[in-house]
Amino acid sequence: MSVLDELVAGAVEDAKAREARVSLEQIKRNAAQAAAPLDATRWLRKADGIPVIAEIKRASPSKGHLSDIPDPAALAREYEAGGASAISCLTEGRRFLGSLDDFDKVKAAVNIPVLRKDFIVTDYQVCEARAHGADIILLIVAALDDDKLKHLLDLAHELGMTVLVETHTREEIQRAIGAGAKVIGINARNLKNLRVDVSKYRELASNLPADVIKVAESGVFGAVEVEDYGRAGADAVLVGEGVATADDHILAVQRLVKAGAQVKTSESTPLSEHQGPYWGQFGGRYVPEALITALDELERVYDEAKADPEFHKEFMTLQKRYVGRESPLTEAPRFAELLKEKTGIAPRVFLKREDLNHTGAHKINNALGQALLVKRMGKTRVIAETGAGQHGVATATVCAMLGLKCRIYMGQIDARRQALNVARMRMLGAEVVEVTLGDKILKDAINEALRDWVTNVKDTHYLLGTVAGPHPFPAMVRDFQKIIGEEAKRQLQDWYGIDHPDAVCACVGGGSNAIGIMNAFLDDERVNLYGYEAGGNGPESGKHAIRFAPGTGQLGMFQGAKSYLLETSEGQTLDTYSISAGLDYASVGPEHAWLKEIGRVNYSWATDEEAMNAFRDLSRSEGIIPAIESSHAVAGAYKACEDLKAKGYTHPVIIINISGRGDKDMATAGKWFGYLTDDQAKALDVTGAHGDTIA
Amino acid sequence: MTNEATTPSGQPLGISHKPSRTKAMFSEFKAQNKPAFIGYLPYGFPNPDDSLTALRTMVEHGVDAVEIGLPYSDPVMDGPVIQAASQIALDNGERIANVFKAVEAVANAGGVPLIMSYWNLIYHYGVERFATDFENAGGAGLITPDLIPDEAGEWIEASDRHGLDRIFLVSPDSADSRLEVVAKNTRGFVYAAARMGVTGERSTIDASPQALVERTRKAGAENVCVGIGVSTAEQGAKVGAYADGVIVGSALVHTLLNDDGRTARGTAEGLSLLAAKTEELAEGIHGARA
Repeated sequence: MSVLDELVAGAVEDAKAREARVSLEQIKRNAAQAAAPLDATRWLRKADGIPVIAEIKRASPSKGHLSDIPDPAALAREYEAGGASAISCLTEGRRFLGSLDDFDKVKAAVNIPVLRKDFIVTDYQVCEARAHGADIILLIVAALDDDKLKHLLDLAHELGMTVLVETHTREEIQRAIGAGAKVIGINARNLKNLRVDVSKYRELASNLPADVIKVAESGVFGAVEVEDYGRAGADAVLVGEGVATADDHILAVQRLVKAGAQVKTSESTPLSEHQGPYWGQFGGRYVPEALITALDELERVYDEAKADPEFHKEFMTLQKRYVGRESPLTEAPRFAELLKEKTGIAPRVFLKREDLNHTGAHKINNALGQALLVKRMGKTRVIAETGAGQHGVATATVCAMLGLKCRIYMGQIDARRQALNVARMRMLGAEVVEVTLGDKILKDAINEALRDWVTNVKDTHYLLGTVAGPHPFPAMVRDFQKIIGEEAKRQLQDWYGIDHPDAVCACVGGGSNAIGIMNAFLDDERVNLYGYEAGGNGPESGKHAIRFAPGTGQLGMFQGAKSYLLETSEGQTLDTYSISAGLDYASVGPEHAWLKEIGRVNYSWATDEEAMNAFRDLSRSEGIIPAIESSHAVAGAYKACEDLKAKGYTHPVIIINISGRGDKDMATAGKWFGYLTDDQAKALDVTGAHGDTIA
Repeated sequence: MTNEATTPSGQPLGISHKPSRTKAMFSEFKAQNKPAFIGYLPYGFPNPDDSLTALRTMVEHGVDAVEIGLPYSDPVMDGPVIQAASQIALDNGERIANVFKAVEAVANAGGVPLIMSYWNLIYHYGVERFATDFENAGGAGLITPDLIPDEAGEWIEASDRHGLDRIFLVSPDSADSRLEVVAKNTRGFVYAAARMGVTGERSTIDASPQALVERTRKAGAENVCVGIGVSTAEQGAKVGAYADGVIVGSALVHTLLNDDGRTARGTAEGLSLLAAKTEELAEGIHGARA
């Protein structure tokens, strides 16, 4: 006899004993007279959360004694106070040590639906549940044949109750649906180690009708399982031990409810309006508590500014009169010809000219937006990190314009390969600190900026330059950069009469220019999106900054956010390499990580060599010298064409984001292509204008 | 209201209701009206073997609980001294899996072993795996400088299952609502930063930590220790007058570094300086209320 058979037999025997005292007829009359049941289906599915069914359970056959629960009503009230959507009350007395007396007390104590959990196989038990006020009952498919299951389900529905139909296998799920189940509980415990097996849950729950409510029933203990099941599509979870045995029952339920809400908001759409803090499983605020006050303040001030038309007006006026927006969308027919020669398809190519902004890159969009927020917050000092120097220059520029004190942190290696930008920042009145710690590149500059911020947070704003870091930076920087894509979309229509592009290419370091140009197209499935990381010497060389290719980045927390990260087997951050300082970063913005995970953006990479060839191609075919960073997007266009060709496009329309201009890179390029005499190259080394001899 | 921490059939652990080790330590000290002395040292510094000796030295000379640091490549909450020590440890082959030897060494010497780690290291090692190994080694609790309770779901669950203390931080500008979040989710004690900023020695300590300790207690924390910037016996005594524990890091680490601040001192010399500094601090801290 199986455990289930034994439990059912015991439950039937106990029910018979009760029936001897109160007849079926009497219990039916009691059921008819009981207060109307709550429609539990309304509690068990929510757009903004994962309802928690919290269970009152003293013991179980598998785990033995769990908790005494002297006052089940008090426990139920605590569950309700913690935000539970329903209470499950065991009434089986032999192994679970529950009773109908418990149930009566619980039902009287709360205003949310209450589930009678027992081994129910007879009409008597169903009516008895209703007579005691049950809103929900449990039926276990494995304990019932098809006819019996349908009969009891119909009876319960007639009595106005919701039925949680418990299943373990695909076959049982089919039987449950066949019988008319509206709420299906899925028990996905791995019977070998009894751990929750979310992949098994996923497999079982796939292809269920959309109107069926799916309840994950097994092994939910804490926030981890709620998140796992939530991401696997569960509508609700049932949790027993994790809340019943907690020291603080209210807090334990609250944590589960919060985890569920987090999952729901993290997957909200439309993609273009997603607000963080979580992008799927990525993002968050992995920072010292000392920064939370500042991040909260930033979020609050930013939310106020977003809703303030005056803020938008000031921002857009400066964008026009100071930055020089809008930046043009330039057609590149001679470069398109090169793509045609190489790939055999005939694209039309348009360049979004962020290189023509004041300071020569897209970075000023964000620097300007945040600097206006600094004024709003009443802070007086700005710090920032920079890799290629573009963000540092943009920040120094807006600080000069607005009269803010400015300090820029720059890794020593970057400072050497971008010496002219160091001079520019100093010319603009900023203090430039060369960071000699760690690997002396962008990530080390960010570490130092974070240390400065932790210390001086009262009067200092950290003007982070990309869509990475803790919330609200990824969403906020995206908002300041999304103008790139919005303009490009409109210009393509107004200037060229083309409704939408077939493809958009951008380079991805932290990812701000890519998010900026892609955001306007994220919800338009007709547009293929391509992001190109810095391939350095190639993925196998170990000298690159590719986070997304197989065998490169792993999930991790870095500088404030959960994302993909280049790290050692010990979890230490790996040294990255790229010819372009601006893409030379170990992690990547959390929204990109999410867009990769859901397959919306196609990420690949361009090596140093590919990027430098593209740098020359664009310079010579169009008279436009792109930044080496942007050259990765130009190189990517060749790869995008191959992909588009494979997808059947013959005349695709492609937008490439030229995120910055290449003047700053002439020393590197001159040396790369051998345009400088030995003496000239040596002179650059001596003045420290070229970095790869130091790296 | 308790259940066995493990089940005979190998089922997942339930909530461990094992009493908090640090809480027990603070109860003892409270009974004597004394603050506890918590000393920090990175594991693997100056090298794996000598770091075990150094940790034992600290316990033998007056440290009550040891905060064993896990060296990290990007320690944003640490100043130059601990950055340098962490880098030396990493260069000398520190491995996370071996930190549990340090935990055992501290426990065997009679100290309460704590680990301080940036979150990515634990996440990468595996949160459940870490909790299991840490518990088995006799560990008491984990200090997480860059993990706030709001992001700590997995750690809260694992620490509940393994009966480990969760030590979150608060800082002088934390709002009362934040102090409540931290106090509610902490197990063991709350780590109050004496000032805004990163770890490192300072010649003076201002009055803000006392106000912070009081606010944190009011927010519901039972035990509050103060660290960051406490480097002398005098400062220890001052802070120990009101805090349940005094945490010293850089000043101890400093004794093992050469004057250049970037290389490790000779072992014997370093250890004797460490012992002396520990004794000096222990005297100041333990005598704070005498």
